[in-house]
Parts: sequence; C-alpha cells; structure tokens
Amino acid sequence: MTRRAGDGRKNQDEMQPMSDDAIQVRRVMKSYGTMLAVDDVSFNVAEGEFVSLLGPSGCGKTTTLRMIAGFTDTSGGAIRVHGREVTHLPPEKRDLGFVFQNYALWPHMTVAENVAFGLKLRRKPRDVIRNKIEEALSVTGLSGYEDRLPRQLSGGQQQRVALARALALEPQVLLMDEPLSNLDRALRVVMRRELKELQARMKMTTLYVTHDQEEALSMSNRVVIMNGGRVEQIAAPYELYENPATRFVADFVGITNFLEGTASDMGGGMVGVRLPSGQVLHAQARVPVAQGGAVRALIRPERVTISPAELSGPNVLAGRVELSEYFGAVLRYTVRLDSGEILRAEVHNFDEFIAGGSRVWICTLPEHLRVIPHDPRG
Amino acid sequence: MIRRLLPPLAPALVALLIFVALPMFWVLRTSFNELADGAYVVEAMTLDNYARFLGDPWYLVNTLWFSIRIALVATAISVICGYPVALYIVKTTGLQRNILMALVMAPLLIGLVTLVYGWIVIFRGGGLLNSLMIALHVYDRPVRYMWDIKGVVILLVYIGAPYVVLSLLDSLERISPYLVEAARNVGASRWTAFWKVVFPMTMPGLYAGLVIVFSLNFSAFAVPLMIGDSNTQMIGLIIYREALLNNDLPFASALSVIMVAVNALILVGMAAFFGRIILNRLEAKR
Ligand SMILES: Nc1ncnc2c1ncn2[C@@H]1O[C@H](COP(=O)(O)OP(=O)(O)O)[C@@H](O)[C@H]1O
Ligand SMILES: [Mg+2]
Repeated sequence: MTRRAGDGRKNQDEMQPMSDDAIQVRRVMKSYGTMLAVDDVSFNVAEGEFVSLLGPSGCGKTTTLRMIAGFTDTSGGAIRVHGREVTHLPPEKRDLGFVFQNYALWPHMTVAENVAFGLKLRRKPRDVIRNKIEEALSVTGLSGYEDRLPRQLSGGQQQRVALARALALEPQVLLMDEPLSNLDRALRVVMRRELKELQARMKMTTLYVTHDQEEALSMSNRVVIMNGGRVEQIAAPYELYENPATRFVADFVGITNFLEGTASDMGGGMVGVRLPSGQVLHAQARVPVAQGGAVRALIRPERVTISPAELSGPNVLAGRVELSEYFGAVLRYTVRLDSGEILRAEVHNFDEFIAGGSRVWICTLPEHLRVIPHDPRG
Repeated sequence: MIRRLLPPLAPALVALLIFVALPMFWVLRTSFNELADGAYVVEAMTLDNYARFLGDPWYLVNTLWFSIRIALVATAISVICGYPVALYIVKTTGLQRNILMALVMAPLLIGLVTLVYGWIVIFRGGGLLNSLMIALHVYDRPVRYMWDIKGVVILLVYIGAPYVVLSLLDSLERISPYLVEAARNVGASRWTAFWKVVFPMTMPGLYAGLVIVFSLNFSAFAVPLMIGDSNTQMIGLIIYREALLNNDLPFASALSVIMVAVNALILVGMAAFFGRIILNRLEAKR
C-alpha cells in the first residue's frame, strides 16, 4: 500500500506489542464477496485521545468500528486493545464501550435497568450497582429518569441513556457510531459540546465515527479520513484543513479550488506551479513534489484577496465575476478566470460589494497556496 | 376517538354481532332449556344441564380435566418445537425463507381431514413408519402410534406448532440485531443475550401463540374424533356428540358455555403468569 502523509505516528507496519496505544488497528480488511468494504486500514488511538473516523457514507467507517467491537469478523489484519490482541475474541470479551447510531436501548428495560444490565452480568454488589447507575445518570444529566422506559424518552435523552449505559462499565475505550446523527441540528451542536467536555473530563479514550466534518474537526485530537474503504490521511484537524494530503481530503474538508499545472523547483523552500497559461504560481513547499510532475495547486476560498482594481505580483489571477452571493457575514464570489477555470472566493470583512460581471483580480499568498501531487484516481 | 373510529368499523362490528355475539347468546340461552322425551327442546329456565355436568365425576375428570391436561401438554410441546424453528427461520432470507415458511404453513393449508388420513397411512399399525422400522430391525413388532392419547397429542402439536412459529416470527422480526449486539458488548454471552433480551421481547408473540394454540387444543374435536379412542373423550368431542348425534342441544350448550368460560379463565391465568409488566412494556410500543 502507499503510505500517506500524516500517518507518521507509527511508521512500522508490524504490530507493536508493548505500545501504550489504547487501540491499534493494523492492516485490517473486510470483504463482502468481491467488494472490499475496508481495505488495508491502519491507525492508532492513544490513551485518552479522541480520534474520529470521517468520510462519506459507505466508505467503511461503521464496518471498521464494528470489527473493533467484535460484531463483524475481519477478513485480514489485527486489532489490539491496550496491547492485547482481540481480533478473534467475541464482543463480550473485549471490554469496549459502544454507542450505536440508533442507540439500541432494550425496550423492555427501564433506564436504570438498561444501565445496570452490564453491571449485573459482572455480578457487582447491589449497592455498587446502585451507585454506578446514579453516577452514570447524573453525569449524563438523566437523574430522575431511572424508571422511564426508552420509548418514554426523547431522542436526545435516549442518546444519553446509551452513553450512560456504556460509561457505567468504565470501559477501556469508548466506540461511538454517529451517535448524534439522529438528533436535530440544534440539539446536535449542544450534545457535541457536552460529549466532548465529558470525554475530556473523564479522559476517556474515544473512537468516534461521523460523516459530519464539523463534528470531527471540532471534537477530535486527530481525524482519520476514509474514502472507499481506505485511509486517505490521518492528522490533527488543523493539519487536515491546512495541509490536505490528497485532493479527496482537500475537497471533503471544507471547500477548495484546484488549479492543475506542473511543478518547478524554485529553491528557498518554494515550489512553482506552472499553469497551462504559462503563469507560474508560487507556493511554500510542504510535501515533496517531483520537478516537472503533474501537480494541483489548492486555494481555499477564504485565503484570497479579491479586488476590482488590478493587482500585481506573482500569484495574481484575472477573471470576471459570474455570481456574487451575499450571506450577511460572508460574500461568496464565483469567478471565471481568464484561463476558463472557475474559482470560488469568500470575503468575510468586506466594505465593497463587487457586482456580477465585473472584472476582478484575485491574489493569494505563497504560504496560503498548497501543492499536492496529481492523483490519477481523481 | 370512538366517534371517529365507529363509522369505518361499523361493518366489522355488525358482522361481529351477527356471527359471534348472537350465536354465543343463543348458546347461553339454550343451555337453560330442557330436553323433553329425549327429543324435543322445551323453553325453560333451569340449571339442570349444568348440574348434570358438574355433578358427574366422569365429565369433570375424564372430559374437562382431561381436555385441559391434553391441551396444556400439546401447547407446551408446540412451543418447545416451534421456538427453535422460529429462531432459525428469522435468520434466513430469500428462497430459503420462502421454502421454510411453506413447510411450516403446510399443515394449515392441507386441511385437517387430508392431514389426518395422511397420518393414518404413515402411523397406523401396518403403516409406513412401522414397516420401515421393522424392515430396519429397529424393533420387531408394530408400535402403536395412534388411536390413543399419544396420537392425539402428536397431531395437535403438528397443527398447533405452525401458529406458534408464525406468532413468534412476528415478535422476532421486530427485534433489531443491534439489541443483541448491545447486550454482547456489555458482556453478555450469546446465551445470556438471548435469555435476557430476545426471549423477553418475544413474550407478546409467545403469548399470542399460546392463546391461539391452547384454545384450538382445548376445544379440539376432529382430532380426538378421528385419531383418538375411548380414553380421549375431549370436551369438544362430547359437545359435538351431544349436539349432532344425541340432539341434546341444551346439554351441548351448557357444555359449550363451560368450555368457553374455562378457556377464558386459563388464558387470564396465562397472562398473569407471563408477566403483565413485560407484555405491557412491549405492547404499548406498537
Ligand atoms: N453486511 C454487509 N453485507 C454487504 N455489504 C456490506 C455489509 N455491511 C456493509 N456493507 C458495505 O460496505 C460498505 C461500507 O459500509 P459502512 O461501513 O456501513 O459505511 P459507512 O459507515 O462509512 O457509511 C458499503 O458499501 C456497504 O454497502
Ligand atoms: Mg455508518
């Protein structure tokens, strides 16, 4: 497999038995017939860390999480939890908390019974169980709901019960599969903050699956970006946005403009991107690119200056505004460059409004321009 | 609410009235009549028919109590046989599912008489089963499989088990596999997850199956008539005989009233036994 930038935390393919990491996923695969749902996925989650699996629907996030929990068999690879190999253990032997997308609360049990179930299986004394129920429910803001049945609760409350049920067992690791995706947007934002705060307070090692980039970026220490069953990039949220390793990542996390060209070394840590028009854009070199190789220049819409007056400098592109949209806090321009490409620009602090049809000049600083190798996959 | 529901339900209510309530009322009324000269029904208001039944230990023990026992045993065996089948079928899909469903439903579709005569061909003294067993030297003299209690129970199970399977399937299909996974995740073994999550959640289906199968078994008359002997005088058979062979409609009616009342009592008892809490918790969700 090709190793991607950002996956530098552990550079060995082989399992490290003595590693401190809470979760180690090594070269894990899952095939359904001829379809590879998960294709050679590796990543680690450190003790106390919050890691998200982020990617579009169907990219294999849930399958990966379910293999870690033991609900789905692996077709290859190995999974370790705190150094213990669990790849072939049944789910009940793994000691991992799991929060399901649809909560999966037992409908014939009250809130307290749902939370107590795992504790009873562990044959804890009665008063210990009572204390743990109380604690888990108070932490999740559910005190007073002990005797309710799941169907008597709102979606948000059910979600909290699912969380309380997992937390009461003090699992080594908490796995969550899109736990907020069934809530309405306002509640989702509130729960997101609560969840993150709780996780940080309890220092709970968490692996979180989501297709919502906002969730992943705002909650995680690191994000694993998946696409078509493969890992595209593993990086901290800031890195992911600022230094996307692939076109997919650049596209999936935020909006990006792409300009295709060939690379030319300019020395001094700078790389040039020669556009088909002959113009050369200047960028800071962050990833090695081959001289003369096909590359893409990435320009974030909010990292440009747009002006109706002619600008001069190396990274100036001329064009005409096709569409200008006013959203109150932000102005969005769709600009047709003279070279024919479309470029999107966003202006947050604006004191002039450039009308559609106007001729404009767009400038971006070399440190805001990213260059990635041209990926034949797209 | 009632006012809104009444118009669409009206035809069903009328049908219910005509085909269920009126006959029931007529049976109740007839049970207080008298039979004169062993032939004519005479309008009366007497409890003689009830007294005749309740005062005779043969009726009490050999028909009523016998019917209850047979019905309970056959129902229990139907559940024991039907539950694993339902658990297996719920995991299948597509063609396999359709074939299994057809096999389960077959006893219900074939019709009782065909079924019983098919069974006779297989199970009678010189039937297929005995011939096969003797040919294979499993035993050397024909074994009696029918015309006794054993045959009646076997056939009642054969007819009753499909209802158990169908009503359990209904419950099982509502159980999300995630609920089992959630149980495994917090430490339950396969067996514990079944026992603590799946089994309680099938209570409504199990109870519905029991209600149908017990009632069918308790009031059975065709099976004991065709496959039983003088020791299998189930109450349904006695009613059939009194009503259609002896023309004693008042006595047959009294027996019917007693049968329905006892049946209702036992079903209420079962509901209590099955834990009203669990049924209520799950029922209200529908
Ligand atoms: N049990 C299964 N049988 C066949 N295909 C499956 C099964 N589970 C998942 N898949 C396929 O595997 C791929 C990844 O699914 P999933 O892990 O659920 O994606 P995500 O959670 O990222 O949306 C999808 O194409 C899905 O259709
Ligand atoms: Mg998913």
